[in-house]
Amino acid sequence: MSEITAPMGGKVIDVKVNPGDTVNEGDEVVIIEAMKMELPIVANGSGTVKEVKCKKGDTVEAEAVIVVLE
Amino acid sequence: MDIEDKLKELERRNLEAELGGGQKRIDQQHAKGKMTARERIGYLFDKDSFQEIDKFVIHRCNDFGMEKNTIPGDGVVTGYGTVNGRNVFVFSQDFTVFGGSLSGPFGEKVCKIMDLAIRNGAPIIGLNDSGGARIQEGVVSLGSYGEIFKRNVWSSGVIPQISVIMGPCAGGAVYSPALTDFTIMVKKTSNMFITGPQVIKAVTHEEVTPEELGGAMTHNTKSGVAHFAEDSDKAALDRVKELLEYLPQNYRENPPVVECTDDPERTDKSLNKVVPTNPRIPYDIREIILSVLDNNRFLEVQEHYATNMVVGFGRLDGLVVGIIANQPKFLAGCLDINASMKCARFVRMCDCFNIPLITFVDVPGFLPGVNQEHGGIIKHGAKIIYAYCEATVPKITVVTRKAYGGAYDVMSSKHHGGDINYAYPTAEIAVMGPEGAVNIVFKKEIANSDDADATRERLVQEYRNNFASPFKAAELGYIDQIIFPENTRSKLIKALMILQNKKTSIPERRHGNIPL
Repeated sequence: MSEITAPMGGKVIDVKVNPGDTVNEGDEVVIIEAMKMELPIVANGSGTVKEVKCKKGDTVEAEAVIVVLE
Repeated sequence: MDIEDKLKELERRNLEAELGGGQKRIDQQHAKGKMTARERIGYLFDKDSFQEIDKFVIHRCNDFGMEKNTIPGDGVVTGYGTVNGRNVFVFSQDFTVFGGSLSGPFGEKVCKIMDLAIRNGAPIIGLNDSGGARIQEGVVSLGSYGEIFKRNVWSSGVIPQISVIMGPCAGGAVYSPALTDFTIMVKKTSNMFITGPQVIKAVTHEEVTPEELGGAMTHNTKSGVAHFAEDSDKAALDRVKELLEYLPQNYRENPPVVECTDDPERTDKSLNKVVPTNPRIPYDIREIILSVLDNNRFLEVQEHYATNMVVGFGRLDGLVVGIIANQPKFLAGCLDINASMKCARFVRMCDCFNIPLITFVDVPGFLPGVNQEHGGIIKHGAKIIYAYCEATVPKITVVTRKAYGGAYDVMSSKHHGGDINYAYPTAEIAVMGPEGAVNIVFKKEIANSDDADATRERLVQEYRNNFASPFKAAELGYIDQIIFPENTRSKLIKALMILQNKKTSIPERRHGNIPL
């Protein structure tokens, strides 16, 4: 199991995966807007999405877990 | 004894010293995947060039029965030779001899070789693999560490100092590498910490493995103590050789020039499209860096730490340059505490060793946040200003996209002594981003309008068209030239050539007081 965290605080503007999806390392899972930039957050490993801990419009803090893979 | 016997005696003693702590301990060293102190030297230096000194030094400790146990060399191999034909001094700690622990005579050997390196203006390489102070020697061992640290400080900015951590490096021993210009760590077999996991557990009850606490990746990602993480002893020593290619012998010389096999006029059409027109979309600044450098070769330093800032070495028309760049791909390329320290230290290192600075700017600003403010972003950000203003080497800047607010000033701007400042047509140089500026300047107008959102949107667009461009800055002479991205390489080389004889000075003083 691995956790994908937000590298910096910001607003979630797109969630690209749902629980049960298979992702490969490097796939974009969430887009966060911060410093007026759209930052793609990519999977840090391959696996199945167990949980998505944010939704579009949420504000997330730096280091917050946003997606859990297994 | 006749002469034959004397020659034989020397040979016997040489062989005895070269065996270090004995075959059993050498086998143990190999079993851990490590080379011995002498094997490392053999791999680093040009064939047959290494000259060992102080081979027969032994310790003088008479406590704890140590007088019955002496090994020639006493745990460190020191000497000099050539690496790719250039003079280099080295000390290589021998873990097979008393665990590489530091005694008085061990320290004297290291100091002697450091003194030679400083006097003769050649780099010193420290290969670290030591259990720390030799407890039996008591305070003598501490004195030796202190003498070494002092020489590290005296060497700083005089000769390049490179530390390679190839085994344990704990307690006071860590401060010698910390004072040098570069620290290279070998993955899995090396670690560095002030107090180890056992002491931490006893004092704070935290449980941590040596690897988590102070392994190669910890110091290359989290602490920023190390600059490179390598897979093996050989890879680490190869990295030393590569680094030396970019460094001069000492501060009086220029870095080595090589014949350029790459066309200085080479253009790259793809650069015209690297920077996305949508300012919200990130891109990889390394595409531009790799494109412009000779043979697309870039040696990135601290690749894994503060990745919103990219620093490293390359060549332009055969001349060594230091590259500093904001990286929009990570944290939007903003300046935070770690990126500031990474940038400032690299700039100062380049300035020590006559390495011109090439800065690529795409910075939205300093990272807002309570952690950043309370962590001292004010004093850490000030380090970038200090480093660039103080640097007297040629400074060339290319603004690729955003250069907003205070972050514009600090990134090698004209005002901080940029010699030649270029901008791409995609550059946005302004006091702040359009959204923020419009909300302040047109606060009343927006509030009083019938459709606040539409009014704001219109004003943002107007601001973007009028101010978020390189032309306002160019009108003021803050930007010398607006260039077509495809010509970046040729433009940088032309600027670098015209700055070859740059002479400038800063006011006389004892030394400055950089905010630490």
